[in-house]
Amino acid sequence: MNPPMSSDDGDQMRSFKDFLASYNKLSELCFNDCIFDFTTRSVKPTEDQCSLNCMEKYMKMNQRISQRFQEYQMIANEGAIAAAQKLSGSVPR
Amino acid sequence: MAQLPQLDMQKMQMVQELEIEMMSDMYNRMTQACHKKCIPPKYKDAELGKGESVCLDRCIAKYLDIHERIGKKLTQMSMQDEDFVKRMQGGEQPKS
Repeated sequence: MNPPMSSDDGDQMRSFKDFLASYNKLSELCFNDCIFDFTTRSVKPTEDQCSLNCMEKYMKMNQRISQRFQEYQMIANEGAIAAAQKLSGSVPR
Repeated sequence: MAQLPQLDMQKMQMVQELEIEMMSDMYNRMTQACHKKCIPPKYKDAELGKGESVCLDRCIAKYLDIHERIGKKLTQMSMQDEDFVKRMQGGEQPKS
């Protein structure tokens, strides 16, 4: 009903969607990289360890990427603000 | 900004949403690309190695750099295209 609620709901839905998407992607990726032996039905301990490592590493990689991305965006924003200030400062004079 | 009529507020919002969507799509593609290029599919260890970390940092910086370069070139080219189309239409009016 009120705008803050609905935008919050939208955010929640969005992050849930993101979570599901990354879940599926992770499953596919780690399965493809870790599971090669189809002579047995059960998951071998090495395969289990490999998939868990794969997941953990991917999460850490994601963390690092988002950190770097944020840094980049902050720098880009600062540049844009500085350019805007320059423009607005030079126009009236 | 002041010149834009009231009606364009909605359009502005749509453009903004589109931009956010585009950014997140770009982010996902970048993640995929840098994972493929920097993390070898051997998962003996759950930690990011030093080489892998450095590779990721560079990969991201380069990806964003290229993204920007291509964007600039693309806008430049499409602006040239628009100019060309306008001139063509100005020269030969009967053609639609």
